[in-house]
Amino acid sequence: MKNVELMVIGGGPAGLCAAIKAAELGVSVLLVERDRWLGGQLVKQTHMFFGSEKQHAATRGIDIAKLLIDKIEAMENIEVIKNATVLGIYEDGIITIEGEGKYQKIKPKAVIVATGASEKTLAFPKNDLPGIYGAGAVQTLMNVYGVKPGQRVLMVGAGNIGLIVTYQLMQAGVHVEAIIEGAPKIGGYLVHASKIRRMGVPIYTSYTVKEAEGENDLEEVTIWRLDEGWNPIPGTEIRLDVDVICVSVGLTPLSELLWQAGCKMQFVTALGGFVPIRDEEMQTSVKGIFVAGDVAGVEEASSAMVEGQLAGLSAASYLGYTVYNIKEIKQDLLHQLQALRSGPVGEKIRQGISEIIASKEVAAAAEGL
Amino acid sequence: MRIQEHPILSFERGEKVFFTYNGKKLEGYEGETIAAALHAAGIKVLSHSIEHLKPRGFYCAIGNCSSCFMEVNGEANVRVCVEPLKEGMVVNTQIGKGDLL
Amino acid sequence: MVLKCTGIPTNEDLERVFPSKERLEKGPIVVVECFQRIPCNPCHTACSKNAIKEFDDINNLPVVEEDVCNGCGLCVSKCPGLAIMVVDMTYSEKEAILKIPYEFLPLPEEGELVLGLDREGKAVDKVRVVKVLNTKAMDKTPVLFIAVKKEDIKRVRNIKLQEKEKKFQTACCSDLIEKNSKLSKDTVICRCSDVTLEQIRGLIKKGYTTFDEIKRISRVGMGPCQSRNCGQLVLREISQMTGTPISKLMLGTYRPTTKSIKLGEIAEAVDGGEHND
Repeated sequence: MKNVELMVIGGGPAGLCAAIKAAELGVSVLLVERDRWLGGQLVKQTHMFFGSEKQHAATRGIDIAKLLIDKIEAMENIEVIKNATVLGIYEDGIITIEGEGKYQKIKPKAVIVATGASEKTLAFPKNDLPGIYGAGAVQTLMNVYGVKPGQRVLMVGAGNIGLIVTYQLMQAGVHVEAIIEGAPKIGGYLVHASKIRRMGVPIYTSYTVKEAEGENDLEEVTIWRLDEGWNPIPGTEIRLDVDVICVSVGLTPLSELLWQAGCKMQFVTALGGFVPIRDEEMQTSVKGIFVAGDVAGVEEASSAMVEGQLAGLSAASYLGYTVYNIKEIKQDLLHQLQALRSGPVGEKIRQGISEIIASKEVAAAAEGL
Repeated sequence: MRIQEHPILSFERGEKVFFTYNGKKLEGYEGETIAAALHAAGIKVLSHSIEHLKPRGFYCAIGNCSSCFMEVNGEANVRVCVEPLKEGMVVNTQIGKGDLL
Repeated sequence: MVLKCTGIPTNEDLERVFPSKERLEKGPIVVVECFQRIPCNPCHTACSKNAIKEFDDINNLPVVEEDVCNGCGLCVSKCPGLAIMVVDMTYSEKEAILKIPYEFLPLPEEGELVLGLDREGKAVDKVRVVKVLNTKAMDKTPVLFIAVKKEDIKRVRNIKLQEKEKKFQTACCSDLIEKNSKLSKDTVICRCSDVTLEQIRGLIKKGYTTFDEIKRISRVGMGPCQSRNCGQLVLREISQMTGTPISKLMLGTYRPTTKSIKLGEIAEAVDGGEHND
């Protein structure tokens, strides 16, 4: 069994920032990443980020990943295990991992869970045909491996991911037939939408998939319009000749490790599903288990990075490490988060987070790891 | 199906390698996933569902959804969306739940 | 507003007739919501233990001997005003049983989830019908045993079935199942075990209304994806068909491991690297 001070699960934007911040305060960190490389979803974000300078605004996601990975590699007190999946968190605080055929037990004094989110799916007839992919999957295939998903794409969902991936598909030379969105309004940033409209791609709001067709893989799709009550209107069907449907209907926190650890969870629609009850400093209801990023509530990568730093700081503090200006740093991070969420697009997030920020009683009742 | 030119990205592909898919010789690049190499060769059907044997491709491409189990070098239930391609690999469509070694 | 004007007992009214917390914790007991002096005493006569004391004046309000009443519920269907219920706080850790009179058709079925209503007829939460007592002696005033959350014992006082049945008819589900069954037959919810929307809807209709129940009977969530794909879809379906908000539903239990692993690897680790265990 391997004893470590702090284990960070997940090497995406939140996990990387958490590891860096904790290590800066002197903590010995073990960072475990499922993929063969660090960076999480940043490695396929070819667009420039929003936020402020502190969150690397105007830098492309792929480049932010490089910046963070360079920092990690330069720090002596961060050990990285890549290509290893965390299998379970057990009652006695032992965490098991498996990678490259090796099974290991790890006993950390504190844990930061930064496992991110997984893509939601959509229920429609023949939704399991090959050619129907999550938007993130298409992004991986295209931006990591340089392979086109197909020739003609229907994008389902006009949130930020749907809009961004549409743009990236066009960048890769793939034709996007249309974007459809069940809601009457575009959910993502309008600047992203404008970019796509300028390219001649229509966005049909209040439309959803009626059914897909195809023998071995996707050959055709029928969409139809929804009324105000989200009921499909017969007679409004449109057939589209596409070989790929990209499903971008949101993400849901990848929280099974938190369930296993016994963290108190709550369903919050605005945050994508079941999220852990936590305090302002990212500690869950189980003492010593912290969260950051999408697993704590699906949001933009910018906030994930700040949350990561905050969780790293809190975990360090929990482990007895400090720095002369720790209060100021924490205030600054909280202030950044507040700023990122203060606008009208952050309204739902603010509301959602207010539902899960634990009261003092929960914190007091927290059990040890 | 490969992207030749990209406005933002340059793809650092590994060495060209050969592998077999259901007995057919295909080429790909070392280090990319098996699924990516198959997709580049126009192969989207990776597995078949257990109950009704319906064709399936990947959905998530990052190891979450487990829709892409194939038999690789005789080993069943390999998630080809995350498994890196190596020279000489024998990749076969898997029927059913697969046998243990 | 007071009871006199609204017909709804106020919290103060209820406090006066609700047994003490200590008494509630000891076992079942009646709550007699009789606030007006009227000439009536069947409650006393129905009670075989004399726990509802004899009335000196038949207009008096009933007086319950809390230590004598065992909550048998004989009086519940005998009260002309349907003013009596039994509360049993010892049913389970989180739920209490309310035994309430219910004089409507159709009667709920045992095990059915119905909408618990408060004293104003407003929905409180889903409640579960545990038992339906309808003996000859009850003379068409059946008594329903309903399991409610402990914190709701002072709120829930009635149930409603129609809501759910209407939902079945008006919501998308039955239309799709009957008229357009092809759609839900071809819609895959669980990729790992090939479970379709049609099957899930069929199960919910049969009364399987939690993820765990549906999981055990259909295998959703038990395949290699561990419900990462199907979880939310199943919850949404349950929610749409039963009217329960998703926030009140739970996913199944998560246990290690998060992905499949060979037993050999574990064995190897035990034999090989684990010296300090």
